[in-house]
Amino acid sequence: MRERWTDHRARSLATLLVVLMTAMVPAGAVQSQDKKPIVIAVPVGLSGVNSVVAPAVVQSGELAVEEINAKGGVLGRKLQLVPLDDESGPAGAVKAFNTAIHQHKADTIITMETSAARNAGAPIAERAKTLFIYTSFYEGRACGKTLFVNAWVPEQVVPPLVKFMTDEKKVKKWFAVGSDYAFGRGMIEAAKNTIKGAGGTILGEEYQPLQQSDWTTIISKIRAANPDGIIYSTSGGGPNIDFMKQFKAAGLKMPVGSLSIDELTAEAGGNAAEGVYYTGDYFTGLDNPENKKFLDAMKKKFGAGLKTPNSLSEPEYDGVYAYAMAVEKAGTTDVDKLVQTLPTIVFKGPRGQVQMNKQHHAPLPVYLAQVQADGKTKVLKSFGLVDPGNQCPNLK
Amino acid sequence: MFTTQLLDVVTTAGVLYIVALGLLIVYGVLKIINLAHGAFLAVGAYAGVVTTRLGWNPWTALLLAFVIGVALAALVEWRILRGLYERPLDTILATWGLNIIVVQLITLYFGREIHFAESPIGRAVTVSGVTYSEYRLVLLALAVVLGVVVWLVMQQTQIGIVARAVIMNEELAQALGINTRLVRFVTFCLGAGLAALAGTLLTPLISVHPNLGVPWLINAFMLVLVAGVSLANLALAALVLGGAQVLVSSYGNPVLGSLTIVILAVIILRFRTITI
Repeated sequence: MRERWTDHRARSLATLLVVLMTAMVPAGAVQSQDKKPIVIAVPVGLSGVNSVVAPAVVQSGELAVEEINAKGGVLGRKLQLVPLDDESGPAGAVKAFNTAIHQHKADTIITMETSAARNAGAPIAERAKTLFIYTSFYEGRACGKTLFVNAWVPEQVVPPLVKFMTDEKKVKKWFAVGSDYAFGRGMIEAAKNTIKGAGGTILGEEYQPLQQSDWTTIISKIRAANPDGIIYSTSGGGPNIDFMKQFKAAGLKMPVGSLSIDELTAEAGGNAAEGVYYTGDYFTGLDNPENKKFLDAMKKKFGAGLKTPNSLSEPEYDGVYAYAMAVEKAGTTDVDKLVQTLPTIVFKGPRGQVQMNKQHHAPLPVYLAQVQADGKTKVLKSFGLVDPGNQCPNLK
Repeated sequence: MFTTQLLDVVTTAGVLYIVALGLLIVYGVLKIINLAHGAFLAVGAYAGVVTTRLGWNPWTALLLAFVIGVALAALVEWRILRGLYERPLDTILATWGLNIIVVQLITLYFGREIHFAESPIGRAVTVSGVTYSEYRLVLLALAVVLGVVVWLVMQQTQIGIVARAVIMNEELAQALGINTRLVRFVTFCLGAGLAALAGTLLTPLISVHPNLGVPWLINAFMLVLVAGVSLANLALAALVLGGAQVLVSSYGNPVLGSLTIVILAVIILRFRTITI
């Protein structure tokens, strides 16, 4: 008796379920085709070493999404930004990419990450056929069928800086200083090649372990070598200021070119980095209408909570726009079509004109800047569009 | 070149001495390694950030740092450490935990990014034909002054004599009616105050961020392990280990140099602690 009753109830439940599902299916289908938002996942280092810059990256993305949605979205669909924490490293990136793709059904991943996190995440995106726009400057030569990069590689910022110092500051004899890690050494390597090409000589080359903050012996070696100028590449943030404070306090006065300082660090360092030359693709002081509009909109949207936009965060804004324009042009979010369309998209943003048409990389507007006495950065001149060179010869 | 290297050696030793002094005092009297030393260094450095924001004279940061360091230490000794002296191993856990808590509190309030603290001295001076950082020379002088002051306190004052009695034989001292609990309390506060002071003194050399204390803690730890409980030994250890680091960095490279203190400390510990 009891069994039968259960049987009966199960059957009626099943019927109810079927009825409900058939009722819902058409609605669901309509939802997924027309109204469902286009999901842009942003796995970024909300914790860990990138946590200083990550909030600014998310804000750039939020502004782009808000602006695009205010104009009706893309193909009648809204954009939706999903920030995720990649913990600034590979293990976190694997989790974040899987969550983005399988749980949030992300249509694309547009983000700034550490190289280790990118190397872990990119294969996951590629296997799942998800378009991945990487918006962080990096050491170069990361290639994948669905991977695009809209930020600089060393070939774009190192030669202009070295050439400027050679030509205008008359630096012939150089001293190269770096933090002892892959990116620091890679940047110095690129600088040495350019220096040799420009007929300069390298009097000395010294690397400091990452955790060491006392640069005394390296500074003494610089003094003994007496070079015309310094080129240095520490790890990001604090070490730039450590080095420059101690360099200044030691009474050394030769021109310094930095491959690792950024606007926020320079400003946080007060007068420590005064006079330092550096190159990049984005500065808040860029004098163009797009940048003014961008900065005003950021201030208006985030008010006191605004994280100062910088060269690591601004490309997120460009990336979201480039993706939206590509979807609009292709008429679909289909990855195969977008891979064809994206290189044809030209977005004129705060940095200037950006088009990812060189082996999935972008020729970028590069500028020369100098840190002022109050720590603020002043843009001195533009080098125009600089080519990334051969990053991925197997890609178009 | 020789003069520069000599200055590098003695000023590096001076900096190491200043950084390790607070740790040594606590180790001497309390027989515990205060792994929150790095956090107290950070507290001192942020005192510099605060005075810069308030527009005060950079030297006032030293006073502020010392006061905050002592106050924080008083709270910690009273509420946490006091109950753990019977279990020395647990103090390692407690002080390391404290280190994490203080660093996270700083991060919560100031954020992870670097901060600016005004330097009282940023000039270079010429010493016997060599241009050198004036601030490093000032640090060397301060190291000597701090060393002498602490030594005088230990030798000449009632507090010092009591402290030395506790260092030599705590149970006996207690039996003689010395309030060892108070001695421990005062010493821990003083050690933490000196650590905070050292943190402020570091700010003209390095950028201020929550984890700035970690590499210094490691070096200070090595020095104290080698030096034991003697101030003179600490000075000697700073000179030998710091000097070796500078020389290896100068003639070899800084990557090897950074290993020098640790390797030398291990070798010295294998045979004995440094004695004069």
